[in-house]
Amino acid sequence: MTTVTPPPSTPAPGTAPPSTPPPGTAAPGTPPPPTTTPAPAVPTVPTAGARTSRARELVVGMFSGTPGHMRLLGAIAIVACLAFGVVSYQAATGLRSDIGDARAHAEQLVRVQAIRTSLVQADANATNAFLVGGLEPAAARDAYTTGIATTARTIAEAAGAEPDDATALERVNRVVTTYTGLIESARANNRQGFPVGAAYLRQASRIVRDDALPTLERLVAVEQQRVDDATAAGDTAPTVLVVMLILTFIALSVPQVYLYARTRRTFNPPLVAATGIVVVVGLVALATMTWSRARTDDAIEGSYRKTVALATARIGAFDAKSAEALTLIARGSGAAYEERFQAVSTDAQNAIGAGFADRATTEALAEYLAQHREVRALDDGGAYDDAVALATGDGAANEAFRTFERVSSAALAEQSRDLTDDLGRAATPLLPVAWLLLAAGVAAAALAWRGMAQRLREYR
Amino acid sequence: MRTRRISVIVGGLVVLALFASACDDSNSDSGRADTTTTTTTTAPTAPAADCGNPVASLAPLDPMPAPGEMPAGSYMAEIQRRGRLVAGVSADTLLFGYRNPVTGQLEGFDIDLVREVAQAIFGDPNRVEYKVVTYAQRIPALLDGSVDIVANVMTVNCERWQEISFSSQYFDAGKKILVRTDSPVTSITELDGKRVCAAAGSTSFDNLQQYPEVITVPVEATSDCMVLFQQGTVDAVTGDDTVLAGFVAQDPYAKIVGPAMTSEPYGLGVAKTHPEFVSFANGVLEDLRADGTWAQMYSRWLQPTGAAPAPPVAVYGRAQ
Repeated sequence: MTTVTPPPSTPAPGTAPPSTPPPGTAAPGTPPPPTTTPAPAVPTVPTAGARTSRARELVVGMFSGTPGHMRLLGAIAIVACLAFGVVSYQAATGLRSDIGDARAHAEQLVRVQAIRTSLVQADANATNAFLVGGLEPAAARDAYTTGIATTARTIAEAAGAEPDDATALERVNRVVTTYTGLIESARANNRQGFPVGAAYLRQASRIVRDDALPTLERLVAVEQQRVDDATAAGDTAPTVLVVMLILTFIALSVPQVYLYARTRRTFNPPLVAATGIVVVVGLVALATMTWSRARTDDAIEGSYRKTVALATARIGAFDAKSAEALTLIARGSGAAYEERFQAVSTDAQNAIGAGFADRATTEALAEYLAQHREVRALDDGGAYDDAVALATGDGAANEAFRTFERVSSAALAEQSRDLTDDLGRAATPLLPVAWLLLAAGVAAAALAWRGMAQRLREYR
Repeated sequence: MRTRRISVIVGGLVVLALFASACDDSNSDSGRADTTTTTTTTAPTAPAADCGNPVASLAPLDPMPAPGEMPAGSYMAEIQRRGRLVAGVSADTLLFGYRNPVTGQLEGFDIDLVREVAQAIFGDPNRVEYKVVTYAQRIPALLDGSVDIVANVMTVNCERWQEISFSSQYFDAGKKILVRTDSPVTSITELDGKRVCAAAGSTSFDNLQQYPEVITVPVEATSDCMVLFQQGTVDAVTGDDTVLAGFVAQDPYAKIVGPAMTSEPYGLGVAKTHPEFVSFANGVLEDLRADGTWAQMYSRWLQPTGAAPAPPVAVYGRAQ
């Protein structure tokens, strides 16, 4: 750490002297006397002018001549070291909070997607139970209730996590309340054998699709933008650190070169130590920041993309499942629902198409879509009852969908856990590094003061 | 609550039956076209394209072919080859064509009619593929050939004769309004400034246009009207008394009021390109009237107690 050649930035303090003296000595060494001349030009107000010129003389006297130059250079070096500590501390903690923000927004995104998923899931279960006719299966009712409970809980969590989203979430909450009311009306009518229940069900499905889902989609877009912004904001920290490192290095090198030229001593140990500390800690911090940034980018490109893709695919698939049921309920006049099926199932496939999901999930989705084609073929061929049997209960299409639901749910849970872990890990070393940078700045400033004070004492 | 509901249903049905029998009376004296001339005078709906007597249909096929032996080259033979009759029906009109929530199966007066037609073609009433069509989809579905026949509370009128053909009249309904039981309203004329629901593409919707002071709320399916009515979004629903009777049966707080604003003779819709199928359907209806099946169907769906009125008298004589 002391005088021996500091490993990373070898050329600086020890070996460079022969080449550097000319600029170092020429620039601050000779001009000081002329710079004092402009002083008499100012005095317009007599008393104040006299006072300022006296103060200026004092300052000029303090920084003129060799000891004065040494004082000036020392002050610059000390300030530079302190600035290095403070600014780079802020850069490191700033990067840490940017990654933290990205993580918080990504987690919020996962929550909003979970609300969308549980809502379309509840609706798919409600419509499917209705399609079966008669008393709804207890399992379907359970799945619906669970879906609504999850929706309500996640809305509360999401609103608590990001108060900015509260207005939109409140709106969704209102729709969910109305939705459950309509579903219960549909059930009550159904139980009495009244066909108007089907109309309540249609209305329920419609408000979810026309009101709640678009609101949540906008929220997803906002959250994605926030993740991107937070990630992009992290770019500034390493740049700030590099600039501070270069400036501080120069501010510490110049007095050493000056002292080398004016005294017979080759090295000033405290100044060399200060330079070493700044350079080593600076480079360690830079490496850490680069690593953090890379980890963050990996998480965004990896687990984040996969989480978004899986959530999108699940939403599309549940939406498709309820469109399938509504097509069958509409019985011949459901062309619009089948169109929706095609649109949302294509969205689902595209979302996990580019390798964003594990094989099991992709295959399960493909299998369900194949089964759906079978359901449509039966219905279009006039075998309505067979089509309904395939799409409900233990029918192959319903089973295929359940498999997809199970597999994709596990995959999503794993990916969103990875996302939180990855981003958490990326931010972990930044806090100690930030404190290290601050400590290095303060230590280097102290050493610089000490180094210059030693030399100045020789002039008393 | 249950007894109350039933009494309301019965009340609605009595109104319905009275109306139907009133029409039958007018039929019985003069037999022919008087039915419509007497009743339609109250409401000249659309700028009626003149088609003579709208309820006059093509002469029934005589003799009727035996089931499973449809004459070669006829549309019935094509249906027989396909193996099923494709019928456009309603899934939300209680009593006429509705999906029974308990069984998931379609039921009602119209559904029974379709089954009778299938019985006549195949000797098997189950050989039917149902396609649920909204009111607005009924004629397009016939025109593009996606259904063979429409049995969905469809009013016969001259405007529709321009595009499709009808069987002879199988039911006589009338347009009325549905209001809450505590409502003092007795006629559509008292609903100025009020919101009244009707299904788009129905004669009820067209009829409402005559009352510009009434705020019309159109919906896609007729049962959506009932949801809006129960939610208080609309003050009244207008529709055929048959359809409204189905609503009353599902809601003890609804009642049917007013004199019939129009007469709505129902016929089975068939594409204009298959006149032989129209004649075949008329033959089926002839048999239903003659052998008492029509009366059984009426009793089953529309009037569980008491005797069914005589079916509307068929009128023939249309050329094409």
